[in-house]
Amino acid sequence: MAERANLKSSFSSAINKRSDELERVARDILDYPESGYREVRTSKLVADWFRNSGFEVQTGIAKTGVIAMLDTGKPGPHIAVMGELDSLIVPGHAHADAETNAAHACGHHAQIGSMLTVAAGLLDPSVKDGLVGRISFMATPAEEYIELEYRQSLLAKGEIEFFGGKQEFIKLGFFNDVDIAMLTHTGGETSGTFGIGGSNNGMIGKTVQYIGKAAHAGGSPHLGVNALNAAHLGLAAIHAQRESFRDSDTVRVHPIITKGGAAVNSVPADVRIETYVRASNVPAILNTSEKIDRALRAGALATGAKVRITTNPGYLPAKYDDRLTEIYRHNAASLIGDDNVIQLNHSSGCTDMGDVSQIIPTIQPTANATSGNGHGIDYLVENYELAVIKAGKAMGMTVIDLLADNGEKGRKVSGAFNAPMTISEYLHRMRGFRSDVTYSE
Amino acid sequence: MIPTELSEIRALALRGIDAATRDLISAAKTVYSTPETGFSEFKTAAFVQERLQALGFVVETGIARTGMKAVLRGAQPGPTVAVIAELDALRVPSHPAADPETGAAHVCGHHAQIGSLLGVATALSAPEMKNALHGNVAFIITPAEEFIDIQDRLALKNAGELEFLSGKQEMIRLGTFDDVDMAMMVHTSAGNGSSGLSVGGTSNAHVSHQVRYIGKSSHAGGAPDQGINALQAAMLANSAINAQRETFRESDVVRVHGIISNGGSSVNAIPGEVLYEGRVRAKSVEAITPIAERIVRCYRAGALAMGASVEVQSVAGYHALRQDPTIQQMFVENAELILGRNSVNIVPDSQTHGGSTDMGDLSMIMPVIHPYANSASGVGHGHDYIINDYDRAVVAPAKVMAATVIELLGNSAQKATETLGKSNPPMTAEEYVAVQRGRFSTETYNPS
Repeated sequence: MAERANLKSSFSSAINKRSDELERVARDILDYPESGYREVRTSKLVADWFRNSGFEVQTGIAKTGVIAMLDTGKPGPHIAVMGELDSLIVPGHAHADAETNAAHACGHHAQIGSMLTVAAGLLDPSVKDGLVGRISFMATPAEEYIELEYRQSLLAKGEIEFFGGKQEFIKLGFFNDVDIAMLTHTGGETSGTFGIGGSNNGMIGKTVQYIGKAAHAGGSPHLGVNALNAAHLGLAAIHAQRESFRDSDTVRVHPIITKGGAAVNSVPADVRIETYVRASNVPAILNTSEKIDRALRAGALATGAKVRITTNPGYLPAKYDDRLTEIYRHNAASLIGDDNVIQLNHSSGCTDMGDVSQIIPTIQPTANATSGNGHGIDYLVENYELAVIKAGKAMGMTVIDLLADNGEKGRKVSGAFNAPMTISEYLHRMRGFRSDVTYSE
Repeated sequence: MIPTELSEIRALALRGIDAATRDLISAAKTVYSTPETGFSEFKTAAFVQERLQALGFVVETGIARTGMKAVLRGAQPGPTVAVIAELDALRVPSHPAADPETGAAHVCGHHAQIGSLLGVATALSAPEMKNALHGNVAFIITPAEEFIDIQDRLALKNAGELEFLSGKQEMIRLGTFDDVDMAMMVHTSAGNGSSGLSVGGTSNAHVSHQVRYIGKSSHAGGAPDQGINALQAAMLANSAINAQRETFRESDVVRVHGIISNGGSSVNAIPGEVLYEGRVRAKSVEAITPIAERIVRCYRAGALAMGASVEVQSVAGYHALRQDPTIQQMFVENAELILGRNSVNIVPDSQTHGGSTDMGDLSMIMPVIHPYANSASGVGHGHDYIINDYDRAVVAPAKVMAATVIELLGNSAQKATETLGKSNPPMTAEEYVAVQRGRFSTETYNPS
């Protein structure tokens, strides 16, 4: 125990020497937001930081992903400490890009900061020498499931298969020998606390196209087939399903119309919808997806339109590992006090950390350091010390617990984990979500 | 114009009606006070039978349950002209004269038709008339013109008591009109009060849909996820129907309207069965066909959306009214002669009353007229529809119809013969019956 306490103490001291620089990196990323699979500058910044710190770095993984490896040279568990590269797109956010409207309204820039903080501390030779195994620092692209048309085009070109960066990392084999994963997300719970545990919904994404028949809306509406009416009826039918959703499934279905007609004096013939279908478990996602397809088809049937429903795999529900959480909780409490480590509830949002959590023990604690609404124009990281430095320390101290003492705890966490699926089962399942059907009733 | 010898006969007929005025209005009011809905007009039928028998008629009764026929034979053979009146009331419980038990009420003025039919019968049963007429006058009193209580009538159909769901349709099928060559009736109206009568125009054809959604009931609070909500299916179908409206052409005079006749059994259960009654009207049976296809598609869409199944029963409704121009012209001339110039408002043939009548069905097989007597206030089929001018509603139509019959069958029935020569009804009674039978269908759509 004394040994581990010393390692943690050296780890913290090494970070304290670089804390200003680490916070600065996070703020720099805030000012240059880039959305998923477009994080070119952010990716280079992360890769450069690791190279300058003496790491072996792999770049261009899933377009913009970066992996830096710290190998103790001694056999032991392999841990992934992660941060997400991408921003959202939120016009009107104080730090939005003037051209693209990209904005870090989800705090991913702070994640990169906390991941680098872990690296800065573990790099200290006196710390590294006390550990076994390997640590992969993974900067992953595209956690936000947005810009579906762009990602669809990447899919068509064969540049990606999945819309989430971690999913691509899994597919490309970067998790094949990883035993444990962690990432700290910013959060808006009681300010100054860390949130632990909790879980997330999973989801699938749908793009929907109603194909009607254009006609003069004033002169000959009887010759048209109104795709917008079909879409409206489809959406109304979706809403009529809601009473059948079970509370425990935390279902979320929230469509948007991305194209609602070409000209007001023409009967709309091409109307497009995007939606997610989220729920806390895969059977509920699949069951709800069937209801949504049925509802969308009804809109087409009613109007005589056709409907093309393209379903893409989204993210799997996240379930965070209890043993790993417990180790993390001790370390987090040692930094900010027992009372400031709070238990998270189930979140109906989704993350591709959910996918990781289905194959290896995973945690995604939150550093509650923000103001404003998540994904909103007013979401700001207020407390960088907590979100970057202390978050990094809590994760790094957890890594030390896992890899010190010949990696005993790491092996225990990994060995006790009852994986819902293997990586190949994961890929099979995700590919099975994919479908593209045109209904003409 | 009417030959002199006929004008004397006509004057005699008009005097007969004048003498009976109080009695005719009183008969109409008696019917008004005992409203009965279609195929159940037993008291009304008995009353009319008694009045016709008092005039010396032999009355054939119990045709299509409550219908009747009494024939006045002229001294010489010739065509048969029918004078028609309808027995049935509507169901409007909020009407001041509604039957408190059944809600039946004469908010369509059929009671006035009975009065005017008795007026024509009174005038023409005078002994001098018989010799003047070449041909016959059939007084036909028809049940069930209002196309309501469909489920009850379907039950009668299943029991073998009916095949078609309205009085004139049934009577055509039963052969009541086989020996009739042309027909007329006058309906009351709350229309333009400036003229006593309106002639011309047409009516909509229609079809009825009996729609049954079958879902799955479950506790609405405890297990809504276990249910399939048949009411949501019906409501989505209704929304889908509304979304079709922009595709209706004005020239087709489309009317689509429905009611939820059973919207669920208890509010704490997910409705497992919902009944929807829809009606599609348009300017002709042919114009209805593509519209009805769309509407049926909407019923299916509601089922598809919810994972319910739906049974759609199409029930043959009415045909559009074709009014015979020759008889109509005679009717107008007689009206102007009897009631004065400006007593008639002429409606163009193309003008469609949004509503429907089974005189439309009769007009498929013979020349007919169906003028209106503007004599009511309020809204037709509404709680405030009241006949407030019984002279216009009962007496004037009786006079004009009697005079028109005399013109048709007097003078060796030249006018009736001319009418028949010019008229070209689209189908025979046999063909009509076949067409109507083809309009019944039942389909079940089960998307799962």
